[in-house]
Amino acid sequence: MLRLFSTIQKELIILLRDKGGLTIMFIMPMAMITIMALIQDAPFRDFMEIKIPLLIVNNDKGNFGTTIERGLKEAKIFEITNMLLDPDVVKLKVKSGDYEIAIIVPEDASASLNSKIGNFVTKKLNEAGLADSSEIKENNFPSELNLSILFAPDTKKSFKASILSSLKQATSKIETQTLLDLFKKELKQKEVETSKDEPMRDFVNFKEINTVETPKEALKLNSVQHNVPAWTIFGMFFIVITMSGSIIKERDDGSYTRLLTMPGSYITILIGKITAYLFICLIQCFLMLMVGLFLLPHLGLPQLVIGNNIPAIFVVAVSTAIAATGFGVLVGTIFKTHQQSSTFGSVSVVILAALGGIWVPVFVMPESLRMLAEFSPLYWALSAFHTVFLNDGTIQSILPNAFKLTIFFVFTLSLAFLYTKKSRH
Amino acid sequence: MTVNAAIEVKNLIKIYKGTASPAVNNISFTIEKGSIFGLLGPNGAGKTTTISVLCGLIKPTSGEATLLGLSLKNQLAEIKQIIGVVPQEIALYPTLTAYENLRYIGNMYGLKGRNLKNIIHEYLEIVGLEEHSNHRVETFSGGMKRRINLIAGILHQPKILFLDEPTVGVDVQSRNLITEHLHLLNKKGCTIIYTSHLMEEAENLCSTIAIIDHGEIIATGVPKALIKENASENLEQLFLKLTGKKLRDQIIDN
Repeated sequence: MLRLFSTIQKELIILLRDKGGLTIMFIMPMAMITIMALIQDAPFRDFMEIKIPLLIVNNDKGNFGTTIERGLKEAKIFEITNMLLDPDVVKLKVKSGDYEIAIIVPEDASASLNSKIGNFVTKKLNEAGLADSSEIKENNFPSELNLSILFAPDTKKSFKASILSSLKQATSKIETQTLLDLFKKELKQKEVETSKDEPMRDFVNFKEINTVETPKEALKLNSVQHNVPAWTIFGMFFIVITMSGSIIKERDDGSYTRLLTMPGSYITILIGKITAYLFICLIQCFLMLMVGLFLLPHLGLPQLVIGNNIPAIFVVAVSTAIAATGFGVLVGTIFKTHQQSSTFGSVSVVILAALGGIWVPVFVMPESLRMLAEFSPLYWALSAFHTVFLNDGTIQSILPNAFKLTIFFVFTLSLAFLYTKKSRH
Repeated sequence: MTVNAAIEVKNLIKIYKGTASPAVNNISFTIEKGSIFGLLGPNGAGKTTTISVLCGLIKPTSGEATLLGLSLKNQLAEIKQIIGVVPQEIALYPTLTAYENLRYIGNMYGLKGRNLKNIIHEYLEIVGLEEHSNHRVETFSGGMKRRINLIAGILHQPKILFLDEPTVGVDVQSRNLITEHLHLLNKKGCTIIYTSHLMEEAENLCSTIAIIDHGEIIATGVPKALIKENASENLEQLFLKLTGKKLRDQIIDN
């Protein structure tokens, strides 16, 4: 135990005196968390909260325009502004990015719709011989009722399609309601007349069922909820550079050779080194979460929600830390110079981070990359953190990912051990 | 086993993987207890391989060795308790102080507490570094680092001490202090195995030498007797006579 504790003490003193290492381990991830959370805040809001600025120019004097507006409000994804503007001004406002979408409801849209449907109903009832009146009214309305929709230049096709589909649904409902009302009027059915004002309801509804039945089910992934755990994991894995550097330096300056000639197993010394770096990783994790809890809200960002299961967070942090240290040992063992190890270490962590959804969430990646994410230890760690933070995950629920991270640690250490054994003989 | 032997090496062979010729080729020698044994040879002759095998750093391809009667093959753990190693490199942690470095190494040998503290301060005083005990090693001169490097190898008072060019690149005063202290250690019963390219130093320090070349021992004995036998004026001349004047550049395989 003396050898173990002495090694831990030695490593910690060396780390605390290494200003460059401390910058890499603490300042860089803290800066990354803050900067990335701020940068990605708007895109996350766009993507997750989807409050799209929409301008509606309702020139209609009837209820068609207001019904459309009500339908859009009910969708709860638009920030609606209702103004009467000239179409050219509307176009400019959308083009300049003031509004993502604009809808222009033409004057007399309601009257036009009623007239068209009225004529249609009369025609159909005449064909069936059911109507008293057979007169089809002439009017001055255009043959088609056109709503003008303007999209911002950068609007995606899929988004346009979904908006048009929503509008089509809303107008169909109005068309159907109007059709029904006119049929009733024409047929003059007394008993039906009594229910004239009853709005047509949907016969098929969709009930959204949240997969997480917890008090926090309303919590969605936002910039802070993504970036804080993501860059915490990245920072923890970046310890690979410092740790591999320490191993290489010890080998270069003869300390490793001296340690091998000393009594006891080198494994004890390695465990001491891993423990020291694991401790540093846990401090990193704690500080990064503090940034999310206390600093980011002061910068106008949402506060990080970490859930209530502190033991589960601890398990995730420890398993992430051991995976990072294991990788550090492997890189430090295989590479001969600090330059090689730091280059490989940083590039490999950046690649694993990109694949693991650290830079951008995995769910926005293409399918092929989403499959690759499954092989990144950073993804396992991030998934485990999300399980605890967003889904009130328990220790049991994060065990599969914690297990994968532990296996990664064992795998990297075994590789390092085999490599050392091979190279020494 | 020879009663008075500190180290006995029999038919030691070491062939590294992927190499055709052996680094050490069937060497046998005995180092007496209490002697200062100089293992001399040009670059790539097999000195480091021999010492690495005797310290348990690498396994021999074949052959046997015992250190104070302990078998290298079966009693390596016990051997590690009685040997000290002073590598050619400054095997210290630059950002730790002299005291912290020595405390860590002492702890590795199981030394602790006041006993260790006293030993460290005693040695620091001997090598004239007591007042610098709390200074970081990175601020030390080459000679100061060498002296700390030496203490790190003898802190646990080993019975056998391996020194790989312990005075390379140091000032005359530091070299003098180191060699004086090695004599002192030797008088206390420590067997010293020493490698160096400094022939004059080896001639003055060593009671016995072995000259190794191409993995084979080509001469062994008391320096003065060997010089006389080979009609040389000094050890350097003898060394050149036996190993030749051809340059021996060595590629270091990491």
